[in-house]
Order: sequence, then structure tokens, then C-alpha cells
Amino acid sequence: MVVAEIRIELKQGVADPEGQNTKKALELLGFKGIKNVKSIKVFDIELDADAAEAKKAGEEMCRKLLANPVIQKFSVQIK
Amino acid sequence: MTVDHLLIKRNVPFELYDVDIFSASDAELRDLSKDLGLNLSLDEMKRVREHFKNVGRIPSDVEIQSLAQAWSEHCCYKSSKAILREHVFNIQNDEVLSKGDAGVMVFDDEHGYALRVESHNHPSAIEPYGGAATGIGGIVRDVLCMGAQPIGLIDPLFFGPIDKQVDLPNGMKTPKYLVSGVVSGIRDYGNRIGIPTIAGGIWFDDSYIGNCLVNVGCIGIVKRKDLVNNAVKGPGDMFILVGGRTGRDGIHGVTFASAELKENSEEESRGAVQLGDPITKEPLIHACLEVNSAGLIHGMKDLGGGGLSCVVGEMALSGGCGAEVDLDKVPLKEEGLAPWEIWVSESQERMMLAAPKKIVKRILELFDLWDVNATVIGTVVPGNEVKLRFKGETIFQLDLEFLTKGPEYCRPAKAKSPQTKKGEDFPKLPGDFDKILLKLLSDPNIASKEWAIKQYDHEVRGNTIIKPMTGKINKRGPSDATVVKPLPDSFRGLAVAVGVNPWFTALDAYRGGATSIDEACRNIVAVGGRPHAITNCLNFGNPEKPERLGELRDAIAGMAEACKALNLAAPSGNVSLYNEASTGACLPTVTVVGLGIVDDIRECITTDLKEEGDPIYVVGTTKPQFGGSALFRVFGGKGGEVPDVDLEALRRSMECLRGAMKGRMVRSCHDISDGGLAVAMAEMCIGGDVGAELDLSVLPLPNLVSLFSESNTRWVVEVDRAKEKEFVEAMDVPIFKIGKVGGKKLKVMNEDAVVLEQMVSDLRERWSKPLWELLG
Amino acid sequence: MRSEEIKVCVLRIEGTNCEDEMYQAFRELGASPEKVHLKQLLGKCPADMKRELDDYNILALPGGFSAGDYVRAGAIFAARIKSELSKDIRSFVESERPVLGVCNGFQILVELGLLPAFEGTMSEHPEAALYTNISGRFECTPTILKHESRGKCIFTKRIEKGRMMLVPCAHAEGKLMFAKEKEEKLLAKLEENDQIVFRYVDEDGEYAGYPWCPNGSLSNIAGICNPAGNVMGMMPHPERVVHRYTHPDFTRTAADVNGAGDGKAIFESVIESVKRKA
Repeated sequence: MVVAEIRIELKQGVADPEGQNTKKALELLGFKGIKNVKSIKVFDIELDADAAEAKKAGEEMCRKLLANPVIQKFSVQIK
Repeated sequence: MTVDHLLIKRNVPFELYDVDIFSASDAELRDLSKDLGLNLSLDEMKRVREHFKNVGRIPSDVEIQSLAQAWSEHCCYKSSKAILREHVFNIQNDEVLSKGDAGVMVFDDEHGYALRVESHNHPSAIEPYGGAATGIGGIVRDVLCMGAQPIGLIDPLFFGPIDKQVDLPNGMKTPKYLVSGVVSGIRDYGNRIGIPTIAGGIWFDDSYIGNCLVNVGCIGIVKRKDLVNNAVKGPGDMFILVGGRTGRDGIHGVTFASAELKENSEEESRGAVQLGDPITKEPLIHACLEVNSAGLIHGMKDLGGGGLSCVVGEMALSGGCGAEVDLDKVPLKEEGLAPWEIWVSESQERMMLAAPKKIVKRILELFDLWDVNATVIGTVVPGNEVKLRFKGETIFQLDLEFLTKGPEYCRPAKAKSPQTKKGEDFPKLPGDFDKILLKLLSDPNIASKEWAIKQYDHEVRGNTIIKPMTGKINKRGPSDATVVKPLPDSFRGLAVAVGVNPWFTALDAYRGGATSIDEACRNIVAVGGRPHAITNCLNFGNPEKPERLGELRDAIAGMAEACKALNLAAPSGNVSLYNEASTGACLPTVTVVGLGIVDDIRECITTDLKEEGDPIYVVGTTKPQFGGSALFRVFGGKGGEVPDVDLEALRRSMECLRGAMKGRMVRSCHDISDGGLAVAMAEMCIGGDVGAELDLSVLPLPNLVSLFSESNTRWVVEVDRAKEKEFVEAMDVPIFKIGKVGGKKLKVMNEDAVVLEQMVSDLRERWSKPLWELLG
Repeated sequence: MRSEEIKVCVLRIEGTNCEDEMYQAFRELGASPEKVHLKQLLGKCPADMKRELDDYNILALPGGFSAGDYVRAGAIFAARIKSELSKDIRSFVESERPVLGVCNGFQILVELGLLPAFEGTMSEHPEAALYTNISGRFECTPTILKHESRGKCIFTKRIEKGRMMLVPCAHAEGKLMFAKEKEEKLLAKLEENDQIVFRYVDEDGEYAGYPWCPNGSLSNIAGICNPAGNVMGMMPHPERVVHRYTHPDFTRTAADVNGAGDGKAIFESVIESVKRKA
């Protein structure tokens, strides 16, 4: 069994309100010197497959459901 | 652990201990209670021992855990029951249809409406997002298990101040963090299950720093023929557990809720905060209502505090039966839960149905369509005993009377003498009234709550007629009450309003309790409703302290006497005690949710001023009463007389005002509460985006009193100028013509002297912005 | 065809939560709506509950949080439709039957590729996104829409161009976006194809920023249709304003309290167009 770690990130230039709001909240809590906060979504998917198959399946999952290519990019890492 | 030797492992292939309470010393009984997380007193432990000595065996851990649940303050109201019996349970009303998990009142000939509010304070203090969300989940189930479609959520919230630095004892979270987490929790859960959050409020005070209060209410609508019993019908019924799986989340929630919060509560109690799953709940609501309206079930009850241990016992007892349950059939979230954990877990999104055996298959099919688990776990049997089996082994056998008849205490209560005018310490005020008004408008307790309101979907289901804010688009002021139209083919509506004034209650518990009712009624009448029923959540400190219990007793008395005088039903209620951290107790907080009947929603009235030239009247008598007022709180006054409630005057004022509204004489109406006439008037100008010219000389009082006193039973009314004469004749109570609508300013005179003059746009700015700026 | 013969499939899964008011809007206009679970169209239910999409005249996707809006708003519902009902839905759209998506329904149509559908009936991958509001928050607020369709959209045939309508919105992800590098080109294409149906405006009818446009949507767009005009998605909720008395300011305009709400014309338009076609 392998674990496919799928990272979904916003494409360059797409605003990140979740990141911005989190930054604001952290500053409200008194944290100083925060330059930027970026939100990233990670799915760990356990698969009964070898690494190559898992990578292919993970990428297919991104195209079918996990990422919207208009705003998001994805990467699949096999662990 | 010092008590390990008292736990005797039974020789079975799963984790089960018998608890040797027979040979335990007093000290060991105490330790047992603590180490097993029972939160039972020594006397209660002895009572358990007495019972098992009569039975002739020692209890299993499942049995003793079950007793701890059933006997917790949260489940059996052991401290407050005697007071409630004296004042509340005896409120008579012909229109009560049920006093089940939620109260149910007559709505029309064919329908009833369900109502209930309860606290979710302790979990929200530890984990605000999850705590608040599961609070909503729980209250929705209370309404659902009456067979009612939930149609509105109500969330009165109380936090420490957000506009100043506060000293936080270890382990406590900042008020801002808590506000933000709780509002997000309500938003994400309420919006996802598709029930509009229609009313509520946010209050701030130092006393809530260590004890934030999260009160959650829900109303629902039910066909009277579909009203469900929270009971089994008789032997042969099957118990069907539906909804979410059972896990370790939410073990000991009720025993946790019944103790004071301590510094290390967070680590100890994380397990006691359940996690919500709105996307299991949403279809669960559909499926439960479908099987009920199809007439497939005999009884339904939600799994809340105490989990299975409470629901099975209570459903069986109410039906005059016993029960046999195979605990190993309960679907689990993870392997390896001990039987006692399964039995008391408070995992969310679960309901219990009772249905005859031959119908079970159809019920399971309907739940399957919605992908919601439904599992038969037991049978109703004759007798009065609950018996549990786990993999064939009997692990629990208890008499229901003993299990559910918890202890009841008449603890000492000490009356506090109410504050009077004599002890009044008047604050130093700024020189001009403009400054006072602007400061009051931007106080977080008075300032616009739009920041929260916009995050809640208050219109889903498409039946919200009067919304929480009202007036011109993007210039709205506050509404007094929200009105929903529950039925597609009827114009009859329900008005929902909150009444609460903890500052009044702290200075004079009786008047504070009565004020909650006065305020809720004022708000309902202001939108054109007829006050009909209330539900309440009583949030107090540790009842083992006589002063706390004294406050509770007097506040209940004030609230209940007002209900009786006004013929308001109180078919449900909730008491939350031990809201007392190391920083002290919370203010005594009597949260009243009032419900009113609106005969025709098309005739509703809102607070925003409508037409230039219309005369403005104050209804009701203003008195120099500043005890607990916003003026005193904001500017540092102390003591003072708390506004009284003249119940006869309230009854007559409501009748007259309702009559004037029916006669279409009233264009807008706003109740006078926090900040007095000045704030009420400013809010009416803000929503209508129009000014007003007032002359205070008609009120026989100093300007300060006229503008800022918070005397009860008062409204500001804009009268249709064509019907002014009719209005004056119709109002058989004191009314005062104080001015007229017009201009772009709120301009207050006293004869020739200018008292106050402010642009409406400036008033809006000061009122609208604070929460956005403070909470981001 | 009489109104009551018009069958409307109000499609739902777990988390869909505006189906009651959507159902009610069609019912009040005399059509025959039915709330249908996706599993009923897929045959995964007791036999007496099975339904065929082809038996309906209109498909409506109501608002809510289908499947919790986990992954992305509308993505899971869209993926389930796509994997199991693709052929049926394609032929439904190609037979020029109306498909309406409101709020979460709009998000589903975009994720499904039925909107904007620049090429063909249904794109393989989404061509647009309805992304987190610029405020980063859920926004439940009245909005004013300007009708922009030049006549293509069958859901607004009864609404004159330029008319302003008060329709409330309630969403956290309503910002219409295209891929940055194609934004200008695709926006022009929307215009050219007459696919822009509604834009957010202020009380004077001008395009304005927050709070009038609650989400920061591209070019203030609130609703679009496909090039054929029979599939429309919009973020605001017309089903919440079928009657004047659910307008947030109805007590200020009391004279016509029994009148139509601003959302009603959308339902009237689509029912009329189905009737005319039959």
C-alpha cells in the first residue's frame, strides 16, 4: 500500500481570501511579523497500488474532482 | 490510580469491569467518582451502593456510568427542579400541545409549532467552533424528534469584551477568538443544514470572559396529526438507531457540563466536545420527517446528553415498558470501544426511532435512499427494566425508576436585596448629549450585529418575512423581531424575539427576570405579533453557593409571574448552572425566546422610519431608572434602581398598540431598550435613511432621563399622519407626541434649546462599523 | 401544453437545502415539480421510487451545500452526475429543455461544464470557477441585479433588458472567474454570445463594488447562460422572492404587498417558453 499526497494550490495570481483572513486573525491574536499566509489543501489518499499506478490515479483524481484547472494547480507525491 | 483494586475485570473477550463499591471507603468512593469521570457526590455514590446492596451484586462499569449520566445536573435538574416546580411547571395554558423534548404550541387548527432553547456553554468555551456547531445540531434534533420541520434557529451569545484588553487566566481564550469561532461554527453548521438563523444577539461583559454563553434555540412546524411521542408505544416495538456512527467523541459531555470550568479543563475535556457533521444531519432531517409523515413510526427521540443511556431508558419509561438492547449492534466509528463508552457516547447526528417490527424494512429502505445508517439495536419488552447484552453477555440490568429518578436538592438560597435609587452612583458624563449618544451607538452591545447576521443564511427556506435587519438596502437598521411564514398556503406567521438583560438581573433578579419577558413581548408587538409562548435558557453560576441559587430563584419567579399575568405558555426550558470559572460567575442570564402569532404577515411593521411629516409618539411611561442601563455601563455608573415591570400596563399597552396596528395607523415601531429613547430613535433614522425632529418638553423629565432611561414597556411609534386622531383615541395608555419624521438629521430640542443634533449618516457610521473593525 | 403538465425535476442529494422553496416556486406557477434524489435517477432505490430524467420538461438544481461543499462548492455533486448520468443530461440539454441552477446549482453547472459551455454542450473540464468571495466570508444580503440578456436566455424572456430586480444572495463562493490568461478573451466571448444574463448593480443601476457586488465577481456578473440560452446559472436566489412580501423592504413599499416578487418573472418565463415550444 502507498499513500498519495495530493496538494491543491491556488494558481499564481489567484487571490487567497482564506490566507488573507487567516493572516488577519493571527495578527489579531498578537502574532507579529507575518509576511504572508497561503492556504493549501492536502489530501492523503491510501491506495492499494504501486507507486507509478498511484501517481497516475492521483492525477486522474485531480482532473476529475479534486482541482478546478481555472484556479488551482495540483501535485501528487507518492509516500 | 488508587482505586484500581476496586475494578474487577470480567472474564469476557472485551473490556468490562465490575466496580466493587461494596468494599470501598468514603475516600475511595470519592476517588472512584473522580477517576471514572462520574462527577457524583459522595452521598450519591452511597445511594448507588445502597441500591446494589439490595439487588445483591456489585454494578458493572456500564451501569455506574449510566447512573452518572442520568443523575447529572444537566439531565435531572437536581438543583433547580424544586424552584421550577413552584413557579414554572404550574403555568397553565390551553394551547400547549406537548411538553416533550421541545415544547409544542397550537399554531392553527391543523398545525403546531415547536420551540426550545438550550445552552451549549461549556463545550463552546473549550472548542468554540465545534461546540457551537454541535449546539445547533442538538437543538435541531430536539425539534425534529417532535416530528416538526425545523424552520428557524436562534442564537443568543455572550462573551467577554472585545473592545479592550482583558486579563486572561491560563487556559482561557480571548473573547475575540471565541466570538469568531462560535459565529463560524453556527454559520457553517446552520447554513449547511439549510435552516435559517433568524434571531439571536451578541452581548459583551467582563463576567463572560471565563464563561462564554452559547445559547441555541430552534423553532419548527408540525402537522398536529404528525406530532410524535418521545416514547415507545408498547412491547414488540423495535429500537432503530439512525444517523451517525458512535465514537469516543463526546464522552462525559453532561457530567462535564455540570461542573465548573477549571484551568486544565481544556486537556481533560477535549473528549467531551463532540464533532458535528452537518452533511449527515441534513439528510437525517429529511429521512426522519419522511418516515414520520408516512406514519411508519411510533416514537422518536434524539440522542443528546447521555447518549444511548438516556434515550433508551427515557423512551421505554415514558411508554411504560422495559427494553432489551444488543449493544454490539451499534455501528461504530472505530474499533475497540468499551461497552460503557458506546452506551454513554454523545456522538452527534443520531436519533432513535421506535417502530413495529413489520415496518422496519420500509424504514431501512428510506434511510438507505439518503445514505443514512439505520440499525435495529433492541426491542421493547414488558416490565420496567433495561437489559443490555454485548456479544451475548448481560452487562447491564437496571430498574428504570431507580435509573431515571435522580436525586433532587433543596439547597439553601440567599436572597440579595435589590439595588435601589439610594445606592446609586451616577457616572461622570461628557458635557454634551451628542457625545453620549455616539458613544452608546458604537458600544459593542448596541452597535450593529451585521458582521454576524450576514454570515448566517437567514433566508434559506424562503419564508423569512421580517429579516434580522430592516430598512433601505445596504442602509439597514435592526429589527425588533423576526417573522417567518411557516406554511405555503397561509399568511399566518410566527414572530421570534429574544429578551434578556443580565445587568438588570444582576442588580435585581426579580425585575431582571420580568424584564426578559417584557422585552420579548415588546419586540413581538413591535412587528405586529401577539405574544403567545416563551422558552428560556437560565444561565447561572454554581448553585451550591446560596447567593447564586438565590438569584436563580428570584429571576425565575420574576419571569414566571410575568408569564402568568400575560397568559404566556412556557412549554419548554433549560437550566445551565456552574457557569463559574476561576474569574467568577457569569452575570445571571435569563435568555427568553418569545414567540408571537402574526395573523397576516403582510401587515407586519418594521423599525425604519417611512414618511417625512409623520408624527412620532412615545408609548409608555419613562421613569428615572438607570440601574443596569447602558448609560451606566458605558460611562461607569454603579447601582441604581432597575426598571420595574407593571404587568397590567404592559398587557394594556400591547392590546392598544396591536389595535392601532390592525387599524393601519402605525407606519413603524421600535421598542425602547438598551440606550433608551435616544438609541431607539437613532436606529429608526438609520434604517429609514431619514431624520427626525423631536421636542422633549412633552416629557415631564430632565433631558438625560428622557433620552437614556431604560424604563420597560415603552415603544417609539411613527403614526400615519392621516390617522393620527384615530391613533390618539385608540391608545388608552400614556402616549407622548415627541416630534415628526423629516430632514437628514436627528434633531432633539427642548422647547427652544437644542439638546442634540446629528446627521443620520454619522449616526449610521458610528453604529454600523464597530463590530466590523473589532472582529475583521 | 398546460402548465400542470410541465414536469420539473428538482434534483437533490445530501446537503442540497433550497429544494423546498424551488419546488414551491414552480408549484405556485401551476407547474408540477417533484423533488428527486440523484439516486432515484440512477435507479439505486426501491423500485417504486425510480425516475427517468427524460420524463421531465425542466431540470432545476437548487442551492445548498451539496455533499457539504467539501473539495469545492458543487464539485462532488457534479462529479457524481458526470460519472453516472452524463449521457442523460447531455441529451436533456441538447433537446433544448431548460436547466436552471441557483447558487450551489450554478456552482454545479460550472463544475459540470454545462456553463459557460463555450464549445459544445458540456466541456470535459470546468472552463470557469465560482470562487471564494473577496470578503472571504459567507454573504447573506439583498442584491440588486440588472437584466443584461439581449434575448438569448429563455429564463428571462419576460423581463425587459435593463430592468433592475431585487434578488437576495447567500453564498461564500460566488466570484465568477476565468483562467487569468484567458480572462479578457472569454469575457468578450460571453458578451458576444449574449451569455451574460445578470450583473450586480447599486441602487442607481450603476456597476459598483462591495457591498453591492457581494463577491467580487468578474465584471459584476451574477448569472450566465449557455450559448443556446437554455441552461442558466445564477448566484442570487429568485425562488426566495416570488412574492413581494419576502422582499427585504416590502414594509416600505406597502402599496403592492400582494404583488409579484422580482424573482417570479424568471419562473414565468421558463414555463411560458416550455409551453410555447410544446
